[in-house]
Amino acid sequence: MQYIFLVSLVLLTGCSDALVRVMPYEKEYFAQDKMSLSPLAQRAEQESHIFLIREASAGGDSSFQGGCGCR
Amino acid sequence: MKSLFISLMLLVPFLKSYASSLKDSTTVGLNSYNDTADVQVYSPTFSLMKTLSKNFLIGVKLRVDTIAAASFKNGGSPAVVDVVTGASPKEGTFEEVRYAPTLTMAYEDTNNALSGGVYYSTESDYEGRAFFINYTRQLNEQNTAIGIGISQSDDTWIPAFDRNLPRDDRKEGKIDMSINQLLSPTASIQFIYSLMYSEGFLASPYNYVKQDTFAKFEKYPETRTAHAFAFKGIVMLNDRNSINYSYRYYADDWDISSHTVSTEWLSDFGSSVTSGLRLRYYSQSDAFFAKDVGAYGLDDQYFAVDYRMSAFDSYDIGIPFIYKPSISSPYKVTASIDMYQTTENAYIKNWYDIDKITAVYTTLSIEYDF
Repeated sequence: MQYIFLVSLVLLTGCSDALVRVMPYEKEYFAQDKMSLSPLAQRAEQESHIFLIREASAGGDSSFQGGCGCR
Repeated sequence: MKSLFISLMLLVPFLKSYASSLKDSTTVGLNSYNDTADVQVYSPTFSLMKTLSKNFLIGVKLRVDTIAAASFKNGGSPAVVDVVTGASPKEGTFEEVRYAPTLTMAYEDTNNALSGGVYYSTESDYEGRAFFINYTRQLNEQNTAIGIGISQSDDTWIPAFDRNLPRDDRKEGKIDMSINQLLSPTASIQFIYSLMYSEGFLASPYNYVKQDTFAKFEKYPETRTAHAFAFKGIVMLNDRNSINYSYRYYADDWDISSHTVSTEWLSDFGSSVTSGLRLRYYSQSDAFFAKDVGAYGLDDQYFAVDYRMSAFDSYDIGIPFIYKPSISSPYKVTASIDMYQTTENAYIKNWYDIDKITAVYTTLSIEYDF
């Protein structure tokens, strides 16, 4: 799995110059809530906690989840 | 090899997706969770963020979980379990309150964002302590963002009854590395890799395997190493509609692996309301030490009764809601309601005496920028 990430890193950082460059004045849409990868912060925090309690998997998000006795 | 990889990654100037300007804000919220295993949780939340200068911010968050849960059933013998756990039933339930404050600090300039904090959690039978640090670096005129997040916890079990655990600690370390890339003015993508390591007493001190001739408390391996790789994307379909999607693959050295896919459609309804629909599917395999219910023997090294050690799938369907009176308004209200359901599972039947778990959870928050 590390290799997948490493390849992604190299491709995106090394080849990003070749990608379409989005200029600052073209970024207005990313200021909208519906263009956020986590449009509801409260829900993201709550469900991360619930999925940690109800499922055996974790990770794949860059948020912090502290420990509790319900896990 | 793993250490070399981590060392190399730490040398790369890292990331997060969006550089958001620091601002003074306060948020109050209320979350709820109810399921068919008779667990009810209501969680008021509060946060206050205050800028010290253009580049620095400090903040505090508080979450309080008020938990009411029915006595563990374990195949319909709750009286036995209550004796074992020492929980004090109140009209068939026991109650618990958890307090979890977090202190945060953040620094941000044009191309760098650094944040960190400390976390503490206390409840009657568990104490959690952790710190976390995140760094994000914007590249290519803020078209690319790379980042790293590190967290480490050092928790302690304090069982509600007099039980000498083999060890009473649980430590968890996590490293997240991410790359965000804008693909066009209306699309972006994110890759995340997580490395997780747990050590200590990783089972529940209350769960036990009960068979005809013996009963044994759960016992898991004392270490666990896990990896997760995820990609997420978002596309604006037109001025009013967007879709985000994600996939995660997870694998650990307990032989549990899982796939998670999720997609959400969001649409503007008028100038103030955004809502839509979210779907999520999850599927996991079982741990190498999970056996069929009733199949454990006294000679087994590990014992599991928690259904999370078994194979199952789950589904989630939810409705999000965002209300912002106007673009310039300092207020924003968000809300959501989701229904979550597992597939039928013999472990769930054995412990909770129900075929599957169905849950409904909600969130509500009011944010004010001042």
